[in-house]
Amino acid sequence: MEMTVNLTGRMKAWIEAMGCHLCVATPRGEPFVVLGRYAQVTADDEVAFALAKDEAKVIAPALSENPRVAFGVSRQGGIRAAYQFKGTGRFLHEGEVVDRVVAWAKEEKGIDTAAILSVHLTELYCTKPGYEAGQRLDGMSPDELDAWERQRWKDVPGKRA
Amino acid sequence: MVKFTKEMKEALRVPGKGGSLIYLCTSSRDGNPNIAAMRFVATHMDDKILIADMFLLKTKANIKENPEVAVTICHPLEEGRWWVFKGKAVDIEYGFPRDFDWYGANATDILNEWGNWNRSEPPDEVPPDIVFPKAVQRGVVVVHVEEAYSIEPGHVGEKVLLG
Repeated sequence: MEMTVNLTGRMKAWIEAMGCHLCVATPRGEPFVVLGRYAQVTADDEVAFALAKDEAKVIAPALSENPRVAFGVSRQGGIRAAYQFKGTGRFLHEGEVVDRVVAWAKEEKGIDTAAILSVHLTELYCTKPGYEAGQRLDGMSPDELDAWERQRWKDVPGKRA
Repeated sequence: MVKFTKEMKEALRVPGKGGSLIYLCTSSRDGNPNIAAMRFVATHMDDKILIADMFLLKTKANIKENPEVAVTICHPLEEGRWWVFKGKAVDIEYGFPRDFDWYGANATDILNEWGNWNRSEPPDEVPPDIVFPKAVQRGVVVVHVEEAYSIEPGHVGEKVLLG
């Protein structure tokens, strides 16, 4: 059953501060990974990644056959933002989001963007080691999820702290 | 033939020994990807990556139906650790035949050395708000690495020479 994902402010901050490791797979189950070095949360359930030409090239063949994407936050986020985000991805080629993300990716990370991967989130899991590992969180309301997270985590990274 | 470099072997160790937090990427047989961070990691022989089976759920289910996996460094990245290792994995759990062999790796050897990993390499570097109170290990995931590519900006997708 597909539920609604409502990213918390803290999740958004970690995603945007650290970027993410993006995982796709062919329809036969061969996984591929690239870095989404620049990420911008474009809605409560959507994240856009600016990919350079070589980054897009690694995942494009699999993504063209199978839109499912899973990602986790890079760097310290792998442990301090202990979540797995899942959804469906598509490449955006034009529009206001593309213009904005391309500009910010260049400004902040120096990325010459060749493709914007937009991921519409449909599943959210806790990956913190221990008894809650694997717990599905996307059934919670925004307030419930925010409260759940505030009980467990206090830190918010980077400039959005 | 695959042979890890010295830098790779140093990176593929527990973070407390100068190693890395890694991401283990798996997929169901019909292409549902999964990505999960792992702390207990080591190399074995010249072409195997070992990962503790402690809190695996989807990862474990995926490996049981589809051995194709990818392993990459989550943190730290800025030390030249821009690799994605691809290969075939099995979860050698307690109860496996002791003579079970996975591309030359023996179940008895693996479980004897890495079967109680939380005791042999305790997570002393893990902050108190993250460390788990009791780590129960069910086995060791053994990844037989067959190839690798780079995710270094400017070189993404380029084949990484192994050996």
